[in-house]
Formats: sequence, C-alpha cells, structure tokens
Amino acid sequence: MAPTVDPGWIIVEEGFTLTREHELESLFTIGNGYAGSRGSLEEGSELSAPATFVAGVYASEPGSVPCIALVADWTRLSATIEGNPLRLGQGDDLEHRRILDMRQGILWREWRHQDGAGRITRMRTLRLASLANRHLLVQCVTITPENYSGSLSINGILTGPVAQVTINGITIAMEVASRVMDHAGHRTRAIELIDGRHNVELTMGKTYRLDRIVALHTSRDTTEPHDKARGHAERAIEDMAGVIGEHCDAWRARWKTSDVPVDGDPAAQRALRFAVYHLVTAANPRDDRVSIGARGLTGTAYKGHIFWDTDIFMLPFFILTYPEAARALLMYRYHTLAAARAKAARLGHRGAFYAWESAENGEEVTPPFVIAPDGEVIRIFTGEQEQHISADVAFGVWKYWEATADEHFLVEAGAEILIETARFWASRAAHEEDGRYHIRGVIGPDEYHETVDDNAYTNGLAQWNLEVAAQVVRLLTERWPTECRALSRRLALEPDEPRRWLRVARDLYTGFDEQTGLFEQFQGYFELEEIDLAPFTPRNAPMDVLLGRERIQRSKIIKQPDVVMLVHLLWERMPPEVRRVNFSYYEPRCGHGSSLSPAIHALVAARLGDTALAERYFRQAAEIDLADNMGNAAAGIHIGSLGGLWQAAVFGFGGLSLSGEKPEHNSNLPRSWHSVSVRFYWRGRRYELVVPEGIKEIGHNP
Amino acid sequence: MSQPVVLVPLDGSEQALSALPVAKVLSEIESAALHIVYVGEHEPAVDEPGVRLGREVPVLEGYTIDARVGAPAAVILQVAAEIKPRLITMCKHSSPEDGKLLGRTAMKVLQNAPCPVVLVPPERGATPWRLHHILVPHDGTPSTSAALPPAADLAQRGRAELLVAHITNIGAAPAESGSFTTPFYVDQPQHEWPAWTSEFVRRLACVCPLGHLHVRLFLAHGNPAAEVLRLSKRQSTDLIVLAWRGTWEAPRAAVFKGILREAQCPTMVVRA
Repeated sequence: MAPTVDPGWIIVEEGFTLTREHELESLFTIGNGYAGSRGSLEEGSELSAPATFVAGVYASEPGSVPCIALVADWTRLSATIEGNPLRLGQGDDLEHRRILDMRQGILWREWRHQDGAGRITRMRTLRLASLANRHLLVQCVTITPENYSGSLSINGILTGPVAQVTINGITIAMEVASRVMDHAGHRTRAIELIDGRHNVELTMGKTYRLDRIVALHTSRDTTEPHDKARGHAERAIEDMAGVIGEHCDAWRARWKTSDVPVDGDPAAQRALRFAVYHLVTAANPRDDRVSIGARGLTGTAYKGHIFWDTDIFMLPFFILTYPEAARALLMYRYHTLAAARAKAARLGHRGAFYAWESAENGEEVTPPFVIAPDGEVIRIFTGEQEQHISADVAFGVWKYWEATADEHFLVEAGAEILIETARFWASRAAHEEDGRYHIRGVIGPDEYHETVDDNAYTNGLAQWNLEVAAQVVRLLTERWPTECRALSRRLALEPDEPRRWLRVARDLYTGFDEQTGLFEQFQGYFELEEIDLAPFTPRNAPMDVLLGRERIQRSKIIKQPDVVMLVHLLWERMPPEVRRVNFSYYEPRCGHGSSLSPAIHALVAARLGDTALAERYFRQAAEIDLADNMGNAAAGIHIGSLGGLWQAAVFGFGGLSLSGEKPEHNSNLPRSWHSVSVRFYWRGRRYELVVPEGIKEIGHNP
Repeated sequence: MSQPVVLVPLDGSEQALSALPVAKVLSEIESAALHIVYVGEHEPAVDEPGVRLGREVPVLEGYTIDARVGAPAAVILQVAAEIKPRLITMCKHSSPEDGKLLGRTAMKVLQNAPCPVVLVPPERGATPWRLHHILVPHDGTPSTSAALPPAADLAQRGRAELLVAHITNIGAAPAESGSFTTPFYVDQPQHEWPAWTSEFVRRLACVCPLGHLHVRLFLAHGNPAAEVLRLSKRQSTDLIVLAWRGTWEAPRAAVFKGILREAQCPTMVVRA
C-alpha cells in the first residue's frame, strides 16, 4: 500500500513546525463517525494533544456542562534504536512528511531519521479508523534500518484513561492486538515483554512491520464490551490486509457518491475534498442516538456540543449523498424531543424548543457565561434566546423528506418533530394590539444583537415551520390516516390546531417592506449606527473585538448572514428582486465574525450571478481550516463551515435547484472553474450534475 | 561552570547611573556578578570611576570595575565578547538627543550585543528598582516567542508575575507559518475564548516551561505600542521584554520602537 500521489486528494505537511501541531492534529484527524482520533505524532512532542473520542460519550463534571470525553490514546508509540529514542528533533530528520490521504481515509507519515551515531532509520506509519467496520482502529509502522543492524524496542501501550473505563455510565472498552512481521511477511520471534512492547533484532536493509489493531466497543452497543473488543481485535489482527482493504473499499464507495470533482481550480478541489472527508468521518448512519458536534470528532473545542450547524450546514450534504447518515442525524433530534418539550414547558410554552447546544440527551448545555481574555464577563443568552434552532431542526426534517420521500421516517418521527416545533412557535408568538403576532426577545443568527424583537430569520423560519406542519398533518390525514390518528392521540393534537398555526403564520410580523423589498433584520435595526467596514479591512480579529460589544450592538454590523440566510433557505419563496436587494443591503454590513458566514455568502452571491464575489467568499471559507498562519483549527476543524463550502459549490456554483418535481440547475461557475460535478440522490433516483453540461439520471437508490 | 555576569556600561554621566539599581536587582536574581565597564574617550583619572560611582559603592558589593578607553560601543561589545555576560544593562542615552530612539552607544550595543540588553530610561535616576511584574507583548508569531524563555526564566527566579499581552489591530494576519493570532472567527464566545486562551498559553508553555509560574494573558485591541504601554502603566510592570528581529522596518519595528521610546520602565530586548 502507498499514499495517494494526486495532489487533489492529499493534504501534505512537510518538515515540522512545532507551533502548528495542534492545527495539524485537527486537520489530520481520522474517523468514522463512531470514533475519531486526532492526527498526533506517535512519539509525541512538546505540543502534542492526542485525543480519541467516541461519538455520544460525554464526561460531566459537577458544576460544568458536559464535554465530549477522551478515551485511551491508542496512537502512542515510542521506539528506541539501541536504546536511543526515535523522536523528531533528536538527531537529524533527513525527511519528514505527513500526508492526509483523503481518497483512502488514511493518515500517512514518512520519516527518515539519523541518530547521533549515524544510524539512519526509515519509518512509514499508517493510521486509519475503519469505515467498513467502525469498531476497528488500525496502525501499521514499517521500519527499515538503512545502514545498520541493531535492536529495536517499540512500545505501544495504551496511554491516558485506562483501556476500559466508565464515563457517565457508559463503559468503553479498547483492546489492542499487535504483531511484528519481518521483511518476508512472517511473524518475527519478537518478544512481547508486556502488553504492546516488542523487542526486535533488526538486520540492515530489511523492512519490519508492526501491526496494531484496536477494537473499541461500548456498553451502548453490547452488554459485554470488553469481551467483544478482545475477540474482535484478536480476529482482526490475523487479517490486516483484509481489514485495510475493506476500509479502502468503503472509502472508494463513499467517494463514488460524494466526490465533487472540480476542473480548473486545484485549491478549490482540495478544499472540497477536505470538506467531504471530514463530513464523512463525522457521520455514522448506524447510530441514530448521536449527532455531529461543531468540531466533529477532531477536538475538544465546543465540548462536542451539537448546534444548528448540523441541521442547516451539514445536513444537505448528507441528505443528497449519504441519506442513511442524514436519517440517523435527524433521528437524534427525534430521540431528544423529550428534552426539547421539557425546555419549552419550563419557559411556559407548548411544543418543542430544542437546545441551542445539546449533548447526549438533548438537554440545554449552553454555558451561561464566559470570561473573555480581556477580563470581561460575558453573559451568554443563546441558550434562552437563540430560538430559531427549533425551526432549523424542522427545516432539516422537511428537506430530508422532500429529497428521500422516506415515508417511514416521516410517519414515525419527522411529522412529530414538525408538529411539536410548530406548536412551540404558535405558543411563543404573541398576538398584539396591531393585530400581528410578534416574537420578542430573541437572538437571530446574527449574535451581535441580542434580545431583539421580531428577528427576520427567526420569524421567517417560524412562519415556514407553522405552514409546513399544517401541510404535514394534511398529508398524514390523507395518506396514512391510521397512523395520523394514533399520532394525534399521542400528541393530543386538537383538530383546529393546524388552522391556528396557519393563522399565526399569516399574521406573523416579518419585517418585510413592500416598498423597498427589504426585510428589517429586527425591529429598530434600520435606526442603528452605520459603520463602514472598509477601513477595518484587512483585519485579523472579529469586529466585536475591535469595536467592543456595546458599540457593535448599537451598529448595523452583523456577525453572519441573517436575512441573507433566510433568503438562502427560503429561496423559492422570495421574488428575484427581493433576493437581490436584501443581499446587496446586508452583505456589505456583514463582519463575518462566524466561520459559517463566508460559505453562505459565496452560495448566495453565486446564485445571484456575482461569481467573482462568490469566488472570493469561497476561498475565504476554504482557508478557515487550511490556512497555516492563524491557528484557527487548533482545537478542531470547523465542520459546519465545511458543510457550507460543499453547499456553496453545489447549490451556488453548480446552481442545483431541488424545488420542482425534477432537479434543475443553473450554471454559476466562477471564471477559474471549467466544470464541477456532483452525484446525488433524489426521490429514489440517482443523478449526476455536471456543470455546465446538465443533469442526467444514473440509477436508483441502492 | 563560571558565575554568570551582568554587564553595566557607564560613561561617567548621571544618566548612565540609572542602570545600576536595575542591574543590581537583576544580578541578584540571576546570582550573577556585576561587571561595570567604565568607558571614556580618554584615559580616566586614577580613581575617576570610583568617584563617579561614589554614591553607589556601598550597595554594590562584589562588583568589578573595568575602566577602558575607546569608542564606547566598540569597547562595550569587546568586553561583552570577552566575558560573555548573561545580560547587558545600560541607560538608553546619557544625554538627550531630540527625536532619537536611543543614544548612539546604546543603539550600537543593541544592534550587536551577543545577549539580551536591558535598556533603562534615564528618568528613573537612582530610584531603587524591584521586579514584581514582567510584561511580554506577543503578536502570536513563533519568532516573537524568543522573548519568552528569558522573561519566564527571570520571572521564575525573581518570583515575579508574567503578563503576556496580545494586541489585535486592523491589518492582515501575520504571514509566518505557525502563527496564532486572535481568532478571526468567534462562532460562540462561550467556547471560543476559553479554547483560544488555553491554546495561547499552551503554545507559550511549549516554547519555555512555565512550571508554577503565574501567567496572565491580556487581550486588547488598538495601536499595539500604545496598548502595551497603557497596560504596562495600568499593571505597574517593572520590565517589558521585547523580541526584536534586528530590523527597523515597519510595521513590526514601529511597535518595537514605540515601546522602546515611551516605556517608563526598563525594557529588555531579546533577539528573535
């Protein structure tokens, strides 16, 4: 086996820059949706932060919000040649390169090291999290003594938390099986001193290989995780080639449905594959009790918490290319409905008010405050006020249904989410003297402005949620009357509730001005201070840091698309002129203080035909994790932004539209792109969009 | 291993003596000997250095006085080459030169010194000095981290507090690979700021072991030099430690020069 050579499929880091280690560990994470491991150096460094996470396993400390838990570090390996440790920076590193091979889902490392005695050792390591069998983690190390014969000691003991640990009532068991193979492919007479440690006599010029397989099982999957892990590891080590081969086959199959080939822009191509790679490594279609946190399984930042990023930014990728993973993500929202209902009830509302940040069970886990580095104590209101999350979840449900026509999901789970979220809005909106319904005291996607009245995005999506819920009740009544009656009974759905939802939707204040075609982002927004962003460009800090929170709240500067987000999501409901005037108004006022912002601006600019502006935003989005001079990705990659990047390519530049009976497209390619293509599932069929040529049907759902 | 040395150049002026209280404390912290080099353009009178130092002699036990003749900067650098001091501590200028950042001698020593140079404002006079707070401005680039090991070492030995200031301003992110600046994207402040602070401190710790050192990280925005000086004043810092790339080119050197010119406390310059 060898790393992929095509630069469009690999992220390469040559040499070693200590201060980049944390970013590289995030970028080079391997994962399969069940587990993820940061791409740390095997032997460690002063700045290494190795971490392996299991999706859905959180640790809770008294007095603090839950945080995704670290399990034992299985990647750690230390080797000595004649007693001298092999470490970067000790001796001469003649060559050192790390390669994230996105095509094969493998992290490679190639290293030629010369020690103080002149001994040259060549090493190549391979690391993967099997996509074919999600319980297996694999590490292979080949070692060649180029100019000497001598003794090697290699130690691969699990470090960190013990191999079997119980976190929050979940037992996680990790078992390692290992072997050392000689150049002829036979097991050596390596002496296994204790678990994971081998001594091998090396012969000059011969290549030796250490194989390690870690089997990972939890009590969420099986009643005997330790036994299962041990048996699994012991069997798998006997068929390393098969384990690796099946993993590569699984990635090949995944890329067949998910790749987005771009002709003409190698950087964009690489960035898109980086996005798809991390989206795939974060998802597990076989586990519908977990979702994807804001940094996936690549770091501890954001504590593994799940935000609207999943429903609005990542889900479209999964719906169209990996629908079984999309379904699992939506079922997580279904399984956490109870917590959403409890949150709504606690605040005196009906229905379901989803957590702005949720973890294993859907309860609200947003930290209530933070101390900023300038010493300011910032009260965090998003947990109470960022209520659009409920409509975001509903939006994802409906988009999945539209794309898949998955009746079972709609009847068993999706309809209930739509109904309960609509109920929330119907009780949350207050009927006032002007005859309109208002939703006061919220935060929209633009989090620079808190406790605002009638946020355009919130109200616009709430209105949509109410209408769609009424539509789904009608649909259930017509097509699945028995199931509908059962659901109505279970939810105590009153016959006139859908009519009431429609009344609320009709009379809900939207902030739309017929004269100008503009939505006012919230009541009073147009009276705020106008601040030109041009003098603040370029900058390397967000606008709220540069101006201060109070000033920014008094200004029209927004953090990320809010009205523009509404235009994007409800594109078909907006007349072309409304889309254009709102983008033209709000785009220059956006400070892009969120990593979710540039990709959506790229998407909308492309759909509006401004491909030069779209390309600029696309590049900005692509650099969020991949630029090497800001350290953005140190504590995890921005997976929501990566989902946005995919959307910008497909819906923006590719112009894919799924609002009609058949998929349509409108080419919005930027100048440097000769073509882009994407394969997707739509209502039981598979299609291929090649821009600028067109869309063709290529088969049925498997 | 020979005892470390703190080198203090004097030229007979009152201003130059302002370096002595600082050098004295630094030599105590470093367990170093104090090596005073008196440099004159001509042969000194027999006891001239002693006369000039008269006031200070009682508090400078164990010092060595080395009287030399010649071009001051060349002589100081020659002595530094001979005795390999841990630090050179000297006054910024011994006579006011309008608009000049440093006196000619201090400038030449700074440019060519083989070790960090502590520059003392002459306005300090003979006031006793202490080391309780050390401030290190850090722009997030790996090269700026050169200032950290000596600052942390001093703080640990002197049981002082280490303050690290990161100042954001309008401008592009530094081009240097491995830089870590203020996050451009703060998706959720409740997560981003703790993660950023932790990452910043961890990067500092990988450059030099912080041990039990008390480190405080400050984030401010605005003109970097002005903000560092403001913070220095507000926190009553006793020493500012600056990394210098050896050039006077804008924009980074503008910050360096601004702090060097206006700092009311001594400034230690470490070559990046």
